[in-house]
Amino acid sequence: MTRATTTSTRTGRDVLVHQALVYGSDEEMAGSAVPFLREGVRAGDAVVAITSPRTAGALRDGLGAAADPVEFLDSGAWFAAPVQTLAAYHEHASRDWWPRGRLRLLAEPVWTGRSALEIREWKRHEAVLNVVFAGTPSVLCCAYDRREVPADVVEAAFRTHPEHLSGGVVEASPAYVDPADFYAECNAAPLAPAPETGVAEHRFTGGGLAALRDFVTAEAARRGLPQDRILPLVMAVNEVATNIVRHGGGSGVLRVWAGGEGLVCDLTDPDRALVDRFLGHRPPRPLQQGAGMWAVRRLCHIVEIRSGAHGTVIRLHTRLP
Amino acid sequence: MPSTPRGDDPPPPAGRPGDDGTGAPQAAPGRPVGEMRLGDHLCLSYDNAEEHRAILTAYLRDALRDDHKVIYVSDDAPPEEVLDRFRRGPDAGDLDLPAMMGEGRFVVRTAEEAYLATGRFDPDEIVGLFATEIELAMLQGYRGLRMTCEKTFSLRGWPGSDRFTEFERKIDHIFRTAPVPAMAICQYDRRWFGRDQLRELESYHAGRVRVDDRFDNGTLRITPTFTPPGLALAGAIDESTCPAVEEALRTAGVRSAHLCLDLSRLEFCDMAGLRALVGAGRTPGGMERQVILREPPEQLALMMRITGWDALPGVYVEEAPR
Repeated sequence: MTRATTTSTRTGRDVLVHQALVYGSDEEMAGSAVPFLREGVRAGDAVVAITSPRTAGALRDGLGAAADPVEFLDSGAWFAAPVQTLAAYHEHASRDWWPRGRLRLLAEPVWTGRSALEIREWKRHEAVLNVVFAGTPSVLCCAYDRREVPADVVEAAFRTHPEHLSGGVVEASPAYVDPADFYAECNAAPLAPAPETGVAEHRFTGGGLAALRDFVTAEAARRGLPQDRILPLVMAVNEVATNIVRHGGGSGVLRVWAGGEGLVCDLTDPDRALVDRFLGHRPPRPLQQGAGMWAVRRLCHIVEIRSGAHGTVIRLHTRLP
Repeated sequence: MPSTPRGDDPPPPAGRPGDDGTGAPQAAPGRPVGEMRLGDHLCLSYDNAEEHRAILTAYLRDALRDDHKVIYVSDDAPPEEVLDRFRRGPDAGDLDLPAMMGEGRFVVRTAEEAYLATGRFDPDEIVGLFATEIELAMLQGYRGLRMTCEKTFSLRGWPGSDRFTEFERKIDHIFRTAPVPAMAICQYDRRWFGRDQLRELESYHAGRVRVDDRFDNGTLRITPTFTPPGLALAGAIDESTCPAVEEALRTAGVRSAHLCLDLSRLEFCDMAGLRALVGAGRTPGGMERQVILREPPEQLALMMRITGWDALPGVYVEEAPR
């Protein structure tokens, strides 16, 4: 373990710093978070806190006048779904935060009220941040309240953050794992089995995607997806099916059902495996190939990919009202 | 051969297709030139040389396919000039017009030669001459005659040209009442004819002729547009139609500094399609041109937002008027 005298064990302007702040009391939180933000204000960074209103209040109290330049955002709205959040980071950072210099961001991800699937994907999100924001002028600190957050989430935090912050001191996290390994671990969890009944099935191949789109439209409407949210789902299903037709085995099966997680669309390519290394987690550059999976992830609540010798399953989750 | 087309004055017909009642030119109504059949008498009201050339080039090309003879009545351009006009077009391809002219299949006459042999414009005489031309073409062994005439001469005030409308009415009556082994495209340069006059003249035709679709497989239809130059895309762009879109974009409006894509009737577009549309500014020759996406559907606008491709240089979005 390296004990650092500066605020990070990692230095250099365009080096991503990603720290976990695990605390057990409000005083402990403020004791680390307030100096963290204050240092950003002093350095003239773009300083942002994405927290609950309660934490925001505590931080404002601790910061006093230094709170003025800090941008406070509500964590409930911000952490809607992992890839939506990723897109929001990208959008805000590239349009507003990075142009002002270095970004110093305190985030308080939401863990309560999450399903097991959502928790897994939010853990994955923390690992993905290390990759997609590598080489950017960003100092991210993610706060975890031991009193509220499940133990496995705290454990994952030490594995997905290269450093942790405690009592104003930054230390390298010995539990940190390569994000690719953590990502693969998430993919190793089997998909929840489809229900015995209530599954609608449609086979598709090249030239038949118009019929597939009609099928999704009808099935989504029948299962209660509001009219204005059907088109994004149709676009996502069409995109995955297009990949299977053009770059995969050429034909596949769509299965649709509604369950505890909402509306599920499984697209199976029985013949082809694909390589999922952070697939669809980076925003596409202009005219770049491979923008499809980014769009698919943006259009859905959560997307799960499982691929191997048995072929590929891409599962699209959409929330139902 | 039909009965001698010299006859009673037919009453002017009313409520014809192609007349939208406002006199305003419609976006792309009419029959594709490639679908014209013997017995069709259509008008081409144009204001754009590229559109004019594209339609008549197809008309000439189809004459070869169908073993038809073509008589082209020009305003006052001699045969060489007409030949040159169509030979230089981007869609001329391997169409050998000089050979067609050499074998007598493609005949060019000026309006003066064709209509003023007797010194004045006489509708009944021209109708009679028309019947003779049909007979001659049949005797020569053609399967049909394709007429096309530039009608600007009717505005020159030649003796008898005040009876021009009467002429169109009579010709139209023949086409409507007898099985004629001929078809005709009457060319009206919109820049010369008054609106009401054009509307009346158009009513003496079974409708308008328009350019052929570039592609139509039931899922997507791609139609060239000319003012402004570009393509109209109607239907869905997906994996079954995207290659056709890419091909059409490569060859559309290659001489123009901008390309207008009319998306008002686009119902669906996938990512590869969007990439093709926003990338259409890059031509094969390495030229950059502006791309105008006109009235994209909400679905496309959403795709552009989530990919961040809504602010690419050289790509302009024109929203639908509200």
